[in-house]
Amino acid sequence: MIKITALEKFYRTEEVETIALNKLSIEVKEGEFVAIMGPSGCGKSTLLNILGLLDDPDGGSYLFNGTEVAHFNERKRADLRKHNIGFVFQSFNLIDELTVFENVELPLIYTGVPSSERVSRVEKVLDKMQIMHRRNHYPQQLSGGQQQRVAVARAVVNNPKLILADEPTGNLDSSNGNEVMELLTDLNEQGTTIIMVTHSEHDARYSHRIIRLLDGQTVVENIMI
Amino acid sequence: MIKNHIKIAWRNLVRNRTFSLINTVGLAIGIAVFIFIMQYIAFEWGANRFHKNYKKLYRISTVYKEGNSSHYIAPGFAPLLKTNCPVIENYVRIADVAGNGIVSYLADRNSDLKSFREDKVAYADPDFLRIFSFPVIQGDASLNEPQTLALSKSVARKYFGEASAIGKVLTVNNQFGHTLYTVTAVYEDMPAQSDIKADILLSFKTLENPALRNDNDWADPKGLKSGFVNTYLLLKDNADTQQLSKQINNTVHQLQPENQTDPMVLQSFSDLHLAPSFNYPLQTFGNLLLVSLFLCIAILILIIAWVNYINLSIAQSLNRTREIGVRKVLGAVRKQLIGQFLCETFLITLGGVFLALLIVILLQPVYNDFLDKNLSLAILMQGWVWLIAPALILLGSLLSGGYVAIVLSSLNPIKTIGNKLDGFTRGISLRQGLVIFQFTVSIVFIVSTLVLYKQLGFMHNQDLGMQVTQRLVISGPEINGGKLRSQSFKNQLAALPFVQKYAASNDIPGRGYNFSADGITRLNPTPGDEKKSFSMLLIDNNYFDTYGIQLVSGQNFTANDVQNGYSNAQRIIINQKAAIQFGFKREDNIVGQKINWGKQFEIIGVVKDYHHLSLHEAIQPMIFLPAVSTGFYTIKLNTDHLQDKLNTLKNLYAKQFPGNPFAYFFLDENYDEQYKAEQKLGDIFITAASIAVFIACMGLFGLASFIARQRTKEIGIRKVLGASVLNIVRLISTDFLKLVIVAIIIASPIAWYAMDKWLLNFAYRITIQWWMFLLAGTMAIIIAFITVSFQSVKAALANPVKSLRSE
Repeated sequence: MIKITALEKFYRTEEVETIALNKLSIEVKEGEFVAIMGPSGCGKSTLLNILGLLDDPDGGSYLFNGTEVAHFNERKRADLRKHNIGFVFQSFNLIDELTVFENVELPLIYTGVPSSERVSRVEKVLDKMQIMHRRNHYPQQLSGGQQQRVAVARAVVNNPKLILADEPTGNLDSSNGNEVMELLTDLNEQGTTIIMVTHSEHDARYSHRIIRLLDGQTVVENIMI
Repeated sequence: MIKNHIKIAWRNLVRNRTFSLINTVGLAIGIAVFIFIMQYIAFEWGANRFHKNYKKLYRISTVYKEGNSSHYIAPGFAPLLKTNCPVIENYVRIADVAGNGIVSYLADRNSDLKSFREDKVAYADPDFLRIFSFPVIQGDASLNEPQTLALSKSVARKYFGEASAIGKVLTVNNQFGHTLYTVTAVYEDMPAQSDIKADILLSFKTLENPALRNDNDWADPKGLKSGFVNTYLLLKDNADTQQLSKQINNTVHQLQPENQTDPMVLQSFSDLHLAPSFNYPLQTFGNLLLVSLFLCIAILILIIAWVNYINLSIAQSLNRTREIGVRKVLGAVRKQLIGQFLCETFLITLGGVFLALLIVILLQPVYNDFLDKNLSLAILMQGWVWLIAPALILLGSLLSGGYVAIVLSSLNPIKTIGNKLDGFTRGISLRQGLVIFQFTVSIVFIVSTLVLYKQLGFMHNQDLGMQVTQRLVISGPEINGGKLRSQSFKNQLAALPFVQKYAASNDIPGRGYNFSADGITRLNPTPGDEKKSFSMLLIDNNYFDTYGIQLVSGQNFTANDVQNGYSNAQRIIINQKAAIQFGFKREDNIVGQKINWGKQFEIIGVVKDYHHLSLHEAIQPMIFLPAVSTGFYTIKLNTDHLQDKLNTLKNLYAKQFPGNPFAYFFLDENYDEQYKAEQKLGDIFITAASIAVFIACMGLFGLASFIARQRTKEIGIRKVLGASVLNIVRLISTDFLKLVIVAIIIASPIAWYAMDKWLLNFAYRITIQWWMFLLAGTMAIIIAFITVSFQSVKAALANPVKSLRSE
């Protein structure tokens, strides 16, 4: 599903050039659950941003379902993103001005789903995430775990093929964290590919494979059994 | 999508109540000012357009070789022109104000005489009420018969109450004597938008009878010499005006070949109020320059308000960078984000427009008082306003909202989700530019206001060379006057204990001269002397003393001189300017000299120059002539118990001059009337300056809060490293003060240029001084500093641990 080859990303200031990704090559197959780990500054988030088409690589190739997307323009990227990729962030990133229902509905609006269908799809996913009873609440009225459930609901409402999760449990206590991990596992079992950046060995154990990065390169891959 | 846009826009506005309110109010003030000014412009623009013949009417003017023009032409031409030029369908001649005087009505022997001084009495041709669209509500529109008149509705009511005016007889006492007129028509009061204003229309035919002209043969309607009527031509459809112009000049110059250098021109009725260009040679009723100035102010304030909107919106949207990022991550394309921000701009603008309308409705009476006009929103219900105003508001929202939308939608989602503002600094220089623009406009207004008030103060405080305070002026009688009564009135004034001084003159300071004349020279003139003009004033022997005008040499007139009149006495007094114009070298040698003015006159005294008219004009060479004057009585008195004194004077006046209304005014107030235009301009500028500064400060406030937020981390680090609150405040404020200083540098030459031009209107004027710019600049800096320090102190007081942790 995803094949990156010799991917490079540099950050330049006036005098210093920092290499974030150094000819990184990774392949992720459809239906996989991959965890990416590594110390701060190893390039995890940069990789996730590029995989999520939020950022451009400076070199190398990125095949998404066999299509070269490394140099897509903004509009094409947005299009690909909204139909295929869901995001879950450490800090949830819900829009404070919108209710739970409206937050989850938003991706459907941007993909042009008609209103009646939106309601049924949002309700279905809220039900699945067990936050239906909170549908008219605003994010600030929810606990952290509930907020992340809403964020996951928002990420999956469009039935994306790929979910990118950036430390999804980082702001949660362990019981809420486990709940979210269970959710992701469920989704994966239903066929969604998941790539998750995490610091937590515990969370990483939910995945099929751990990719460890150091200085923008893969140092080791562990296959989980 | 739109629903979602509106929903989130609304929630955002509600959530940031204070900001939304400031933003909406700022915009509303700008729009309200704009609407107010558009009312005025619509009023000026719409002047005279209510006449159904508006497009077919022309006024004849003469352009003199000196470059000035006059619309007063001799009445005898119009009938000749109609005969010679077939495209002239009709004409109407109006001798405005020529009929002014006292109009009285006596219902029967037993009732009281109703008598009023009327100052809008015109002689007009029979078709006046047919050619112009002043609806006749009673009687016959024609003034065909001599000694007939038409009255406006309110004047008719003044004389006859609710009773019908038609057929009633009024007595008109004016320069043409004492004439009876029968009322044949009553018309609706002439609207404020009419440049032709008359309360009473007298049949012009009346003056064809020499007996009804009181020896004023210049006023013969067939005369070709004296220009005293406005001549309006009603042309046939599709008339060639250039051709007509030629025909008119041919006709006139055949009769008067000596005037060939002074061509007659046709002034289109549509150019009667506002000139079509700034160098239009003919006289207009309105002031294009003032209208343009007003328009500039309106547009500038509107722009300032939009600029403000941009700065405040961007500052406010800082709270929403994360939202923007999330939306982008979820698949929003730029177009959709721009749509959302435009939607918010539109909501704010809509709110601003409604609030502006509310402000306009509430403040309309104040504004009307200020302009001395009766304006309302109704005047804006015109086709072009409906087109232009929404277009302007839409354009403004698109430009300002569009800019905000583009800046915000261009943010990089990765950075905004991390709440970093690096990508946001784009456009900061533009926003700084906008603040500079706002302050430049504000400073130009402040400097202009300072110069204006300084000039006004100078004019008020300038030594006029005479005394104008505590001088009460009573208008002289129009009827039942005469030398004897006048002398007797003066004697009785002298006997009143509160009358300190008194004088009679035929005109007064601040109002005008009796006439101007040339052909007055020394006995041994040099060539060209005969062309020099002198301003003449008819006065009695108390005039100089009552006005405190200083006699430099020689002596005053005697009572005998006054009784004899200047023609018999052959004695005159001149001012210093006149002495110079005559060519005399030293004042002491002048007294006793003779001058030639048809016959010889002896100069018996020279008075020190004084400002007979406002400081707009240079002091004229004046000649004072002794005469039993009945035009104005000036009384010097102490204003304590004024009402009692006025009652005494009124009784005395009524006894002495029966049938004349008692009209009085204070000279200083009357003299200041000459500066009314400047006073008004001053008021306009001070208002414009305050509004501009106020709105600009709101924009500055927005930018300051943005910068303070942006530099939170820096401020935190500086504080950890030991910076004091004062250090931080200085750090942030300095950047803004720099903007204001740039604005001062840009504004100063603009203001200097504009005000230097304006001051040229005055013969006596102040010089623009550096401290005015310094003062304006200091004011701007102080205001800006207060605005900014509100934000910078807040930033400086914030807990550094908190600001650093948020990174």
